[in-house]
Amino acid sequence: MSFVELFTIFFGVMLINNFILSKFLGLCPFFGVSKNTKDAVSMGVAVIFVMIMASVATCAINWYFLMGHQSNLLFQVFGGTDPSTFDMAFLKTIVYILVIAVLVQFVEMIIIKTSPALYRAMGIYLPLITTNCAILGVALLNDDFAKSSASMEPTFLSYLVKSLVQGVGGGLGFTMAMLLMSGVRERLEYTPVPVPLRGIPIAFFSASIMSISFLGFTGMM
Amino acid sequence: MVRTFRGGVHPHDSKDMSKDQPIKQAPTPDIVYLSLRQHLGAPSKAVVKVGDLVKKGQIVAEPGGFVSSAVHSPVSGKVKEIKPHPHMMGPLADAVVVENDGKDEWFEGCNVATNWESMTPEQLKEKIRMSGIVGLGGATFPTHVKLSPPPEKKIDSAILNGVECEPYLTADYRLMIEQPDRVVEGFRIIMKVLGVSKGYIGVEANKPDAYIIMKEKGAKYGIEAVMLKVKYPQGAEKQLISAILGREVPSGGLPMDVGCVVQNVGTAAAIYDACAKNIPLLTRIMTVSGDGVSHTANYNIVLGQMLGPILKECGLKDGIRKLVFGGPMMGLAEPSENIPLAKGNSGVLALIAGVEKYEPRMCIRCSRCIDHCPMGLNPSVLSLLSDISDFTSMEKHHAMDCIECGVCTYMCPSRRMIVQQIKLGKQRILASRKK
Amino acid sequence: MLTTVIISLSILGVLGVLFGLGLAYASKKFSVETDPRVDRICELLPNANCGACGFAGCNAFAEQLVHGSLDVNTCKVCASEAKSVISSVLGKELVNQEREIAVIHCMRETIPARFEYNGIQDCRSALLVNGGFTTCQYGCLGLGTCATVCPFEALYMGEDGLPHVVDEKCTGCGNCAKVCPRGMITIAPMSRDVHILCNSKHDGKYTIGCCNHGCIGCKRCEKACPAGAIAVKDFLACIDYTKCVVCGACVDVCPTGAIGDYSLFRGKQSAKWRSGLAAK
Repeated sequence: MSFVELFTIFFGVMLINNFILSKFLGLCPFFGVSKNTKDAVSMGVAVIFVMIMASVATCAINWYFLMGHQSNLLFQVFGGTDPSTFDMAFLKTIVYILVIAVLVQFVEMIIIKTSPALYRAMGIYLPLITTNCAILGVALLNDDFAKSSASMEPTFLSYLVKSLVQGVGGGLGFTMAMLLMSGVRERLEYTPVPVPLRGIPIAFFSASIMSISFLGFTGMM
Repeated sequence: MVRTFRGGVHPHDSKDMSKDQPIKQAPTPDIVYLSLRQHLGAPSKAVVKVGDLVKKGQIVAEPGGFVSSAVHSPVSGKVKEIKPHPHMMGPLADAVVVENDGKDEWFEGCNVATNWESMTPEQLKEKIRMSGIVGLGGATFPTHVKLSPPPEKKIDSAILNGVECEPYLTADYRLMIEQPDRVVEGFRIIMKVLGVSKGYIGVEANKPDAYIIMKEKGAKYGIEAVMLKVKYPQGAEKQLISAILGREVPSGGLPMDVGCVVQNVGTAAAIYDACAKNIPLLTRIMTVSGDGVSHTANYNIVLGQMLGPILKECGLKDGIRKLVFGGPMMGLAEPSENIPLAKGNSGVLALIAGVEKYEPRMCIRCSRCIDHCPMGLNPSVLSLLSDISDFTSMEKHHAMDCIECGVCTYMCPSRRMIVQQIKLGKQRILASRKK
Repeated sequence: MLTTVIISLSILGVLGVLFGLGLAYASKKFSVETDPRVDRICELLPNANCGACGFAGCNAFAEQLVHGSLDVNTCKVCASEAKSVISSVLGKELVNQEREIAVIHCMRETIPARFEYNGIQDCRSALLVNGGFTTCQYGCLGLGTCATVCPFEALYMGEDGLPHVVDEKCTGCGNCAKVCPRGMITIAPMSRDVHILCNSKHDGKYTIGCCNHGCIGCKRCEKACPAGAIAVKDFLACIDYTKCVVCGACVDVCPTGAIGDYSLFRGKQSAKWRSGLAAK
């Protein structure tokens, strides 16, 4: 778990495999909240926050409850000879969704309490994070860090740190894409666009062009 | 070295048409229409009644506020009526109509030489105010207001504007080479009023003879003549300061914020007349040019006289497409020649060729307007915002800093009417601020 | 097999219970009092966000309704049924107010132009160029800025170069009246069907010189009005809609036809009214 490795993860998830522009995850808030820069940034910050929390929480749950290895808590409590009896990998998706939903609910409550202005700005988009595939995506992608490979045997610490870095990188990449898109869309507001294309259609065009430009990062690593 | 500012364009200046025509007296009018709105700010208030006899140089309207100016009768005669009359800026404005009796009698105390050097700055300023002097470059902002900076603004230099960057116009040029003493003496009065010792006269490089005369005449009074690049809008206040002193007037600020006051050469000459000879602003120099007249001229016109007879004398051709008051870049097109000339008329252009009607097209984002905007604005965005009437965003994009020089419209390959759109935005922003 | 089922069930069960309890606690701890009436009213408002009420949008208006002492009638656009529901939500009595619509106070046929205007097609811009290109300094410029700002598509520019109001669609929000640089659009009560269809404050001679249907300030209508609702000021008659009894006496005496009675043509687009006048 060298610095280079962490940097590769961070940079990779932020630019090369950007959740929105390369993996096409989380498009709903991407189009919904990118109308002006202010909302886009606050949405991005919320996503960074939720992504980090989701990365940490799902990584702990995966490591201690769902993986069939020596550290599985259930294996340690109930004992037995074969830890693979406790391999619950098939539960991942549903458990992660549960965890993320709870987290977002929690964040929403805190935001309403602490900053009603921010809540009004994001309106209905906060619940969108609940079912945001970018969040679920980062949680599922994190699982790769827990897999043993020929070169190294993962520990909980390395898994956690790598997940955290992936969460931060993914969130920042998301925010960056939102910011770029909101800048473009603010200009689209006063651009004479053919009537049938006004609004979301032209935003799709712009997004696809941005996505193509992000292909340029592909060869970097 | 030739100094200049960032941006701008150099349209063909067409000054050859009239630059060699000496200043001549315009035909004396039988009747003058003295509009009460010849300046920026509050209209003047008439102080004469119908039937009153007025003499040459007598005040007929006093300033209607601090930012306002007085109006004097340039002829002796009878006040015929006071009624709304077409004027340069719009359809109708109150005007004092004076019938010339041809006696040419001066009002008491006028045309009497005095020694201005023995007067205090305050007395000089009051003299300028009551002489109805406004910025004769075309903006017609009352001069005494410009010469009264608040005490916290320290003025260290005065600039005289002899740039005359508008194509066609040669009135200031002729004034500088024919009557340089009036200009320099007037500038000395300005410097005395402001209490500065350093003065600059900016002259564009296409008027080398005027530059040399100004340099010689000004040298002994600490006045430096500066040669400036031939570029439009070199004569705009903020661009002139940037070129001569390298100072940038802050957004929303005035030249006095960077310690400068800029005055036109014509204004300086008028100030000299007012302070040294007790002659209020009665005449001014005006260029008549364009391909619509058979002989171009530089006239010393009487304020309030009708344009028609002057154009006739110049040989107005048939089929005039446009009659422009002022230069072709910032001037106003006027619907008829039945308009009295006012303090702001630096030129009249009768144009036939090259006056086309263009259909504006889409902005193609070529950024020519941005490259050439002397104020460093983004005219393309301002024009697009004006299209959708988003005036709040225009204000955020600094529409109020636009000097309406017209460079963006001149450069636009899509023929977009950018300045007009920004003008609309500015007007709406001002209206919403008032609320 | 059975163990797998048991383990997975227990994992999900335990997590579910834990999270449920956690959220329940959090919702108590972070609970915020909100007024459900704001949302309810917001749903009932037209949500056109036209801004005629003076607030940033329908949402802001709803908040002001609940927390301030505003009257529902401040919203010109809202349908009367919705207004009564909103009033009941607020627990207030609804004061019935009459529907208002826009009236165009100009019916020039042609006005000789003082000059040719080639600038941008916006009345506000045109007015900045030498005070507008029409000889009449109060009449319609005909570039249709009012029609572009109408949020309800209730104004359209007719072939005669004048704006026309579609009675059914107009809500009287007043956006057109605010934007008209000549100030020749006003908002008037629906039932007061008689209007001065001219805005010219020029003297009679000048008005006749530039328009066939201009008000010349002859004061005949002032004398004819039994209710004393018409007053002539600055060569322009003006009807006080609170006094007008819609008798039509003024329409009959007007020498230039500058007063119009819309009542015969209500429900139809006002363009029809002009052809009616031509027939007369």
